[in-house]
Amino acid sequence: MIEFKEVHKWFGELHVLKGITLKVAPAEVLVVCGPSGSGKSTLIRCINRLEPIQKGELIVDGMRVHESKTHMTKLRAEIGFVFQQFNLYPHMTALQNVTLAPIKVRRIARKQAEEEGRRVLAKVGLGDKLHQYPAQLSGGQQQRVAIARGLCMKPKIMLFDEPTSALDPEMINEVLEVMRNLAREGMTMIVVTHEMGFAREVSHRVAFMDFGELIEIAPPEEFFARPRSERTRLFLSKILTH
Amino acid sequence: MLETFNFRVILEYMPLFLRCFWATLWLSGAGLLGALVVGTLACGMRIGRFTLLSWAAGAYIESIRSTPLLVQLFFFYFGLPSLGIRMSEAATGILALTLNSGAYMAEIIRAGIQSIPHGQVEAAVSSGLNYLQRMRHIILPQAIGVTLPPLLGQAIVLVKDSALLSLISLPELTRAGQIMTSERFMPAEGFLTSALFYLLIYYSLKALTHWSQKRLIYMQT
Repeated sequence: MIEFKEVHKWFGELHVLKGITLKVAPAEVLVVCGPSGSGKSTLIRCINRLEPIQKGELIVDGMRVHESKTHMTKLRAEIGFVFQQFNLYPHMTALQNVTLAPIKVRRIARKQAEEEGRRVLAKVGLGDKLHQYPAQLSGGQQQRVAIARGLCMKPKIMLFDEPTSALDPEMINEVLEVMRNLAREGMTMIVVTHEMGFAREVSHRVAFMDFGELIEIAPPEEFFARPRSERTRLFLSKILTH
Repeated sequence: MLETFNFRVILEYMPLFLRCFWATLWLSGAGLLGALVVGTLACGMRIGRFTLLSWAAGAYIESIRSTPLLVQLFFFYFGLPSLGIRMSEAATGILALTLNSGAYMAEIIRAGIQSIPHGQVEAAVSSGLNYLQRMRHIILPQAIGVTLPPLLGQAIVLVKDSALLSLISLPELTRAGQIMTSERFMPAEGFLTSALFYLLIYYSLKALTHWSQKRLIYMQT
């Protein structure tokens, strides 16, 4: 579904991805963790070319993202992206937020899109907030609208960039719950997060990144019980005991 | 002092003032509309990806902002005909107001657009919206909320600038004051009446912004 081959990325002089090779299978849930500045957000932002890569190959759903002639609009419609800061459209209600792209990009009739929007918003537990503006919603609710916005496009892949990092602790669970359900339904997901409970319980594999390198990738049982690299062990000991 | 202030003459000249008031309204209105269109286009070119268009828009904006409106107006009125381009006075006036105000509006709109957080663009890009769709549905509606007060300020400036059109003998509000002054020698009555009509326009525009801002309250996140 997603394949990185020796992917390099620079921000000016800064070498942020140093030869990443990684394959994500359909219906796989991959959690990516690592210290801040390790390149994990950049990694998933490359997948829909929010960030272009400079070297290597990146193939997503059969499309060659690394080639500048590849038309991204169509591929982006197949990839839901959830941001740390939600990035909901503040001038639109929850329902308008989730139906805009289906109507404009997928060219679905408004009535049908709204029906689907209602269904998906109800699924993330916001059936009673359809006509609220983002400013009227809590952080957890906003992030669930953002997830619903992605889902309404019926994407093949969902990417999450630290979806719970901007939330108050009591709201983290309601967002993780939605993501758990999504994983159970067989969505292909890459989740950048420090929620190790989620990684343990839901993911198929956990990857650890540091200084732009993919240090270790393993199923969660193995990753947490027997981390191979010293850096992984150090990182885990820091975040699991904090 | 008030004994010498002649209200009767003002009433006598009221039909002229009303005609000229109407002229100021439609000349400014046309100029405002044109300026909004030109300003949006120039701004789009300025921040767009095409270097040549961006440079052209920049040159337009800079040259307008660095020269007096009166010079621009005289250039259109006296200069263009000498180059073989002829237009009516009204068209010349509207053209001058449009091009002049358009440059300022372009900068106001640019500031508004650039005040929209980059995350908004990223969210829209991620969901597959193309450039025009992002502008139309995400950026502009939010930018309008931010730019409405300064745009109104520019609209008020435009209305006041339209007084310069009296210099190309368009019968608008300031010209009405001049006519009354030259026929009856009553500059106090004449120009005060002109001023009152400008005040009326100002307050109408202000009320309009107030009303539209109340409808944009949701922007206060």
